[in-house]
This record gives sequence, C-alpha cells and structure tokens, in this order.
Amino acid sequence: MLTQSNMLYQIRHKSRFRYDSDVLVCQNLTHLKARTLDSQTCIGSRLEVSLPPAVRMEYLDYFGNSSCYFSIQENHRALDVIATNEVLVRPAPAPDPAQSESWNIVRDNLRLSLAPEIVDALQFAYDSPYVKTDAELLAFAKPSFPEGRPILEAALDLTGRIFRGFTFDPAATTTATPLHDVLKLRRGVCQDFAHLQIGCLRAVGLASRYVSGYIETTPPPGKARLVGADASHAWTSVYCPPYGWVDLDPTNNAIPSGKHITLAWGRDYDDVSPIKGVILGGGYHSISVEVDVVRLPEDVRPTPTETFESIS
Amino acid sequence: MHVPQNDATTVSAGPEFDYAGLEGIPDETVDGENGIREHWRVFFEHMDGLGVQEVLRRWEEARQLIRENGVTYNVYGDPQGLDRPWELDPIPLLISANDAAAIESGLIQRAHLLDAMLADLYGPQRLVREGILPPELLLRHPGFLRPCVGLPVPQGRYLHLYAADLSRVADGQFYVLRDRTQAPSGAGYALENRIVMSRMLPEVFRECRVQRLALFYRTLRDTLRSIAPVDRENPRVVLLTPGPFNETYFEHAFLARYLGYTLVEGADLTVRDGRVYLRLLGGLQQVDVILRRLDDDFCDPLELRGDSFLGVPGLLQAVRAGNVAVANSLGSGLVESPAFLGFHPAICRFLLGEDLKLPSAPTWWCGQQSALDHVLAHFDQMVIKPSFSSGRTPPVFVDALSSSEKQALAERIRRDPWKYVGQNRLQLSTTPVLVDGRLKPRHVVMRSFLAAGGESYAMMPGGFTRVSSVENSLVVSMQSGSGSKDTWMLTAGPISNFTLLSEPRTPAEVRRDGGDLPSRAADDLFWLGRYAERTDSITRLLRAIFVRLTERPGLIEVPDLPSLLRALTHQTKTYPGFVAQDSEETLLRPIEELTSLLFDRLRVGGLASTIESLHSVAHRVRDRISIDMWRIILSLESRPGEVIETRERSRKEPPPPSIADLSETLNNLDITVTSLAAFGGMVAESMTRGQGWRFLDIGRRLERSLHLISLLRSTLVMSLPGEPTVLEALLEIADSSMTYRRRYMSRLQTGPLLDLLLHDEDNPRSLAYQFEAIARNISRLPRLDSGQGICPEEKLINECNDRLKAADVTELARVDQTGYRADLERLLVMLQAELPLLSESLTRTYLTHLQASRQYHAYTI
Repeated sequence: MLTQSNMLYQIRHKSRFRYDSDVLVCQNLTHLKARTLDSQTCIGSRLEVSLPPAVRMEYLDYFGNSSCYFSIQENHRALDVIATNEVLVRPAPAPDPAQSESWNIVRDNLRLSLAPEIVDALQFAYDSPYVKTDAELLAFAKPSFPEGRPILEAALDLTGRIFRGFTFDPAATTTATPLHDVLKLRRGVCQDFAHLQIGCLRAVGLASRYVSGYIETTPPPGKARLVGADASHAWTSVYCPPYGWVDLDPTNNAIPSGKHITLAWGRDYDDVSPIKGVILGGGYHSISVEVDVVRLPEDVRPTPTETFESIS
Repeated sequence: MHVPQNDATTVSAGPEFDYAGLEGIPDETVDGENGIREHWRVFFEHMDGLGVQEVLRRWEEARQLIRENGVTYNVYGDPQGLDRPWELDPIPLLISANDAAAIESGLIQRAHLLDAMLADLYGPQRLVREGILPPELLLRHPGFLRPCVGLPVPQGRYLHLYAADLSRVADGQFYVLRDRTQAPSGAGYALENRIVMSRMLPEVFRECRVQRLALFYRTLRDTLRSIAPVDRENPRVVLLTPGPFNETYFEHAFLARYLGYTLVEGADLTVRDGRVYLRLLGGLQQVDVILRRLDDDFCDPLELRGDSFLGVPGLLQAVRAGNVAVANSLGSGLVESPAFLGFHPAICRFLLGEDLKLPSAPTWWCGQQSALDHVLAHFDQMVIKPSFSSGRTPPVFVDALSSSEKQALAERIRRDPWKYVGQNRLQLSTTPVLVDGRLKPRHVVMRSFLAAGGESYAMMPGGFTRVSSVENSLVVSMQSGSGSKDTWMLTAGPISNFTLLSEPRTPAEVRRDGGDLPSRAADDLFWLGRYAERTDSITRLLRAIFVRLTERPGLIEVPDLPSLLRALTHQTKTYPGFVAQDSEETLLRPIEELTSLLFDRLRVGGLASTIESLHSVAHRVRDRISIDMWRIILSLESRPGEVIETRERSRKEPPPPSIADLSETLNNLDITVTSLAAFGGMVAESMTRGQGWRFLDIGRRLERSLHLISLLRSTLVMSLPGEPTVLEALLEIADSSMTYRRRYMSRLQTGPLLDLLLHDEDNPRSLAYQFEAIARNISRLPRLDSGQGICPEEKLINECNDRLKAADVTELARVDQTGYRADLERLLVMLQAELPLLSESLTRTYLTHLQASRQYHAYTI
C-alpha cells in the first residue's frame, strides 16, 4: 500500500491501588492485552504485578478478548499492576462512505437475515448494561439518518455532531453517570461519547460495539511529551457493510487510523473494563492510573514476548 | 363421599363428604357423568370410614405439628409476612397410575430438552444460527450470562434438578405452565407435606398404594456426588442459600438436613487458589459440589452482578478451572422464562429429533411480528407476562382491565414487544379442599420434580401441589397466599420401602471431631446461647417483680421492690427507667414502664425485643438445633405476642392494671421460665459436645455471669433497710432458694448468700460454676495458631476466676457506716469490665474473617 508506513507502539499502563487497612484477598479480572487484527499485531504483552499472584489464568472471553484473572492472597495495602503492550499498527486507507450500504437496508438485514455475519453483528445490536436506548437517543440520532443515506456517511455525520455538540469534561461524569444525563449535560469523556454513539446507532436499529484501547497523543508544539500523561481511550465501532466493522472516534471526530491501539471490544464498558476486582478487607481505597503511549523508532523491534510476571 | 346430582350407586356408602365440581370445568376427583373417579374411590371410602369429625380432629393435630415444626414461607414485601405458617390442605391430590406414567415420560423428555437447550445456547448456538429461535430472544435475555459461555460442565450436564408446573385443562390433557431450571423450590416442602400427611392418615395412605419419595432424593444425592471434580470417597457437597430472609429458607434448612449437606451462605465460602473453601472453625475445607438456591446472577460479584452480597467472589473462576461443580450449572436460569414456551415443539424436533410429548401452555413471544399480531388480535383472551421474568411479576388478565388500561398495555407491548409474551387463558382443573368441614372445588397446579440420574432423569413420584386461595381465582402461587397439598401418585406395582434415613450402603466413616462447624454458625450459636440466657435472666427478674406486685398490691409496702426495679433497668440497660434522677414516681407506679419492657418490641433490651433477637438468631441456625429446641423457641415468641395485641388495643387509655392482668402476666412469665428450662435441658442432654455446643454454652455462661454480676451490683453494693427481703428475691431469681434453705434454714444473711452465688462450684447458678465451664469449653476449642502455651481467652477467664476465688466472702459482705460494700463493688466492677473482653477475644480469634467477609468491595477501572 502506498499510504503511511506501519508504526510500532509501546504502551505502558500502570494502575496503583492503595488501601488504608489490610486487604486479605483480592481477585482481579483484566482486559489488558491488545488484540491482533487486520490493522494491528500484538507483538509483545506483559502483565506485571507488584505481589506474586496465587493464581493466574488467561482465557478468551465471550467476545474473543484475552482476559486474565489473578488473585493475591497475602495481606497488602498497596498493589501495582503494570500492563505493557508492544503493538505494530498498520494504517489503512479510510473506506469510502459514499460506497457503503444504505443504513436502512443494513437495519432490515439485521432484523431478517440469518447470515452468520449478521448473527455475529446482532451481538452488539441490543441494550447492554451501560447502554439503554430510549426515545431521546433515537430523537438525537434521527437527523443523521435520512432514508437511504449510506450507513458510513450517516455514522460519520453522527460522530461529527457528537464531537461538535459535546464538551470534553472529565469533571462532569463518572463511570456511573447514566447515558441519559450525558445527553442532557452535553459533557463527558471518551467513554461517555462512545456509549452515546453506540446508543444512537442501536436506537436506529444498527449494530455497534465499544472499543477499549489507547491513542497516541501529540504534545503541544515545542513541549516535550509528559510521561504518564496519556490515558486509556475508548471509541465506537459500527457494523458497516460492505466494509465489515468500521471504527469511529467521536471524541476526536475521526476514523481511527494509525494512532489508535485496540485492546478489546464488547457491548459496552462493562464487558471490557481494563481491570475489575473484588477485595476482601481494605477499607477505603484509592486507585490511580498512568498510561504512556510511546512510538518506538522503526529500527527497534522488541523481541516477541508474552509473559506474566511479578515485580518486587 | 357423596357426589350430588350423580348416580348414587357409583358413590361410596356414607355421605360424610359432599362434593361437587364447578360447572363446565374439569375436576380431578369427580367426573360429571360417572361421579367419583376410579382412582379416588379407595381414598374416600377410608375418609368416609373415618368421618368428617375425625378427619378434622386429625387435621388440627397435623396443623399443630406444622406450626411446631416451624414450617414457614416468607412473603416478600410484607413486614408481618416473615415466617408465615405453612398452609396444608388435608385432602391430597391423587394422580392415577396411568396419568403418573404419562407425566413421567413427558417430563423426562422435557428435562432432556431443557438440558440440551442450555448446552446449545451456552455452546454453539445452533438454535439461533439455524433459525429455530429468534436471535433477539437470546441476545436480549438478561438471563443469558455471557461469562458462563464455555464454562466446563461435569458430564456435559447443565440441569441436575428440574421442576415443572403442570395443570390439566379442559381437554383433559396436562400442560406445562412453566419450567424451573435454576434453583427449583418445593422439593423440600413436598417432603414435609408427605411426612405430615402420612402421619395424619396412615391407614388411608397405606391402602391407597401411594409411591414413596425417598428414592428420588437418593438419586439426587448420588448425582451430586458423581459430579464432584475429584473422585473422593466423601466429596463435600454444600447447599448454598441466600439466607434466612429468602422466601423458602425453611426448605433450604430442611433439605440440607435431610440430604446431609452443610447449609451455607455466600459469606461462609471463599475462593482461594482457584478453589472454593468453606470457612470452618478449624480452618478452611475444600468444597467439591455446590447445590445452589441462589439465583444465577447473584452467584459471583466479580463476573456477574457486582452489587451482589450473597455470592462468592471468584466462583466462576473456580468453575472455569474445573475445581468445583455447581448444580444447576451457572446460567441455567436462562431457559425457564416464558419466552421459550412457544418454541418448544420446534426446538424438541430440532435438538432431540422427537415430538414434544407434554405440551407447553400456548404462548406467543411478541418479539416476532406474527406473534405480536396474534396477541393483539385476541387480546381479551390473553394473559400477558414479562418474557424473561421468573414469575415474580403477577400475570395480567387482559379481560379484567378497563378499556383505557387495555389500551395502555397494548401501547407498552407495541413499544417493546420483545418484553412480553401472551398466553391463552387456560381453564385449570379443580380438586376438593376442605374448608370449614366441607369440600370445595379449587383450581390446582402441581409441581413435579426431576433429578438427573445416570444418563437420564428420575421423576419424584409425588410433588408439590398448590391450590388457589379462593374459588374463582386463577392465580396459584405461594406468594399470593395459596394453599398446598400433598401429591399421591398411585401405582399398581410394588412400593419401595426405601428410606434415606437408614440407607444401607458403604458404611459411613466414623467421625467424632465435629471440627467442620462453619464459623458463621459458631458465631450464631454463641449468640443463641447469649440471647436464650438473657431472656431467662430478664424473665426471672420480671417474675420476681410481678410476684411481689401480685401478692402485695399496696406497692409502697414492699421494701425489696424498688431494689428489683432498679436492677431491672440495669440488667436490660433501658436507662433511665427506674434509676432516673426523679424516679420516685416511676417506682411508685411502675406498671407503665414494666409494660413497655415486657411488650414493646421496639424497646431494645426489653423482653419482647430480646425474644425477637433470640428468635432471629435461632432462625439462622435452624439446621443446627433439634426440632424440639426450635419448637421451644417458637413458643417463646408467640406468648408475649398475644399479650401485646391486647395491650396495644388498650394503650390509648391505659386502664389501671387489675390483679387479673398481673396474674396473667405472671402466668406467662412462669411459662417462659419453664420453656427456657426445657431448652437448657436439651442443650445439656441432647446436644453433642461439638464445637457448636461449646460456643452455645460459652454464650450462655457468659451471659449468665454478666447478669448475676449486674444483679448483685445493683442490689447489694448499697445495703438498704429490709435487706433480707432483697436476699430472698435474689435467691429466687438465681434459682438457689432450695439450696440456701437446706443449708442455712431460713436465716437470710448476705455472707452465706454471696458464697452460694459467687463461690460455690457445685451450684450451677454460681459465678464460679460459670467460670469453670467457660474455661473447660475454651480449652477444647480448636487452636488456630498451633502455638504453645496459653491462649488469650484462657488467660482472661483464668484471671477472672483467680480474682473471684481470692475474694473472701466475709470481706465482700462487710458494710461500712453508710452501708456501702466496697470490696464487693470492686470485685464486681472488675469482672464486669473483664468478661466482655472474653467475648471480643473469641470473636477476634475465631470469627474475624467473618466480619471481613462482609466487607467485600468491588471496583472497576
């Protein structure tokens, strides 16, 4: 292909847990290993934990994501979990929106066809824990979906409307903020915008999924990149024949290409949260997260590794 | 039995029982043309032989037995509904041998069908991909638990215990109204009903050739043993309950005891090293099989509902690793919802290659356009239910709605059609129930149970039958107040006499350790002991007070009364009460305060509230105390309750207490004291000296010590004029009058009394006796530290004991010029401070992980 060349990223994702009394047992479930796809290859992935896990098990979840369970059974008040992924990303030319199927034909196919590809897409067509469709979401979505419009054109229009109509504001919402409130506040973070777009797409009868991952950020001109200043990112994917699934980033008003690294996907955040867990004891806890997305020079090729280790 | 408007020759001799069915509705017992049905003939011949009066007399006895056994059903959302007594009708439902065989063959097929559906939906999903089930039905289903897809399932079996609700309708055919696939309830109630009925009508039961139930439970037990991940001689199987507030908790405890399983709550279990362990006093013990009564989504807060406090975090991981088996398998609640009913014929042909033998209730899932059209076109004949609920929401009978309500419902259905099913209203058959000595027709639903066994399923040859509460109600469910019946499946063949209780198989391993007590149960037994003793102490003190009030109505002349009243406030910690600054008035007119302490459930520390606490803690260990002990505790609850109501009615204008009131109260207090003595007797004579008993006994001894100390401190530290009358009361309360009289004749003196109540190791009411008993118990508790030397609890009790022994009675009894006993107060104050530390220390050593287990936090980042 004559487009941009491939890019190699190293992503370090550190989660720090601090408690004010002893945790006796903690059990965690992570989605921290990058998927390998047409657009990216996960070359190396490590999960390091500051205490030795008593049990560690890796398996593919219902959506084909790599999931890791580990438990710590010694008393502790601090735990660090560091996930490192090395991923080769292949930018691809954006599909031509005008050539995509009309959205109402896609909707009708989702209702009627039993083609395997359709049944797979249906997994992402209905309400899920964080995304409940309602009349207001439908009303918000409608202007982007006039009868017969090519689906990708319509979806991109919706992406742009969310980008322009909503303010990025980390103080406005939490993971518990319902979609309904996001729509009213017109504020939120990437996760809210992704959920919002998913809700809109499902409300008009389309299939849309939640993608969890990272994005390379560019420091302001003349400034150095701050270590740990990146964050985990989330965007949307829509079932978009004939192109299959096409990612859309409502936070940046773009079709991801080259700068997005995919970890996992599911119906919404609940299916693919990077870490969730249950602790016994612990009292009050604080959690902080640092993410670094670093583009490695072309001539550095990390040895493929896939390990899970504890650091002391 | 006499069947009116029918040919009298087809009816048995005595017209003791009259019965007629309802016009145009099939009846299980009579046939409009031929009178009584053949398979009921023997039954009613015998019932006629007994006569109505005798049947009623026996029924009264049976109901008494049910109350005494504490068979209950909790009704959600009704504060008075906790522990509603079980309603059992004395007329069983008889199923002919032919019908029983047809039902059995139909339900076995159905169990295979639902098992195969689970295997498909949690596996390749061919039903969806090949167009048998609409994808939307599965993918919108909240019971489709994606984390459960691909979990290993022992022997490929998802369904181990399955139940179906059946009814016969107008065409004489049995229909399945609904399925129960995740944690069917009722198998225990069926057994309890059978026990009661076979005791009430032994001769009838024998003559009717009724099939026995025990083999069914053995099949279930064998199957559960066989799915243990490790081939162990005695795999540990536990029954996981949501806890005492669940509607069918009685049944959980009953079944656990019958099947020989430990009854556990989520907090009793913990996942370590990817395995499930039971928290026992002696440490952790691995669990192999979990028979659960907890709904799917509550089972694991890590992967399922994060807000569940009832489950076991990490359970799915232990299942995934193949280290524990869960029955029914996690996620199996999926196929019990009404949405699937209409698809069963097609699914059965697709998965089993057979036609469905027993039809499901005709059901349309509105998620399909044609079904939606049908439901709306025949709206008035429809019953509307939520597609995915498990029956918690009541069905809506469309023709009972006003036209605006109908419109609103149709609107809701059109908006989210996938949320609803419509069912044809079925005309359920009737069967007689006994109401006020007469037989009345009621609609009937029978729940049948199947247990996996070998390659197939075995049906319980009986069941759990429910009848509507009023004649024309079509709603039949325990939650809505219906009654239940035993179900007699008749046979022409031999009847097995097998009983699970004396099963001849591999001899049980002889065990005596009893170290397998769950820590939570130890905690509850400790508090059972404390509350039982607290009830006893308060009752005895109250009784002493009421004896004096009754005997000497001129309150002012009783010199010991103020002392006892003040002691009561101290004992019950219901300050200010009788020790308020300006308490003269209250002391002179104590009735109001006493009434409150006796009967006010909201008065914490009072008798009513203490008995309530006793009852609630006993409830939690129902599976660990004998039926007799349980009966005693239940009897304690009801007696003050009856009095409360009369009190509350008259509270607005309290009439001055009459002697009759006082002596009635006194009678009740006497009965309570006697009941508690019986309870104590059973603890002493009928409970094995295991760890559970030790915790119970430590609780009792500790509480008794604390009460005695408080009593002595509030009555004797300041010597008052008329002390001998106080001493007499103390001996009475401490149940030591006889001993004292025998030893000292009637010379009442403080020194000898203190010796008897404090130091005499032979007096089971003395402090020394309690301390010795506590020390002995503690020395036999499992040592967790495996350390050398003396444990902190032993150290504490020994210190108390040493201080007690070192005190000289003469010194203790000595008064100074003001009548103050300094030594006595010093000793009592010291003991009052030290003993609670013992309770705390026990908790720290043996039960800490329990407290921690209630502090699970879930987080997501």
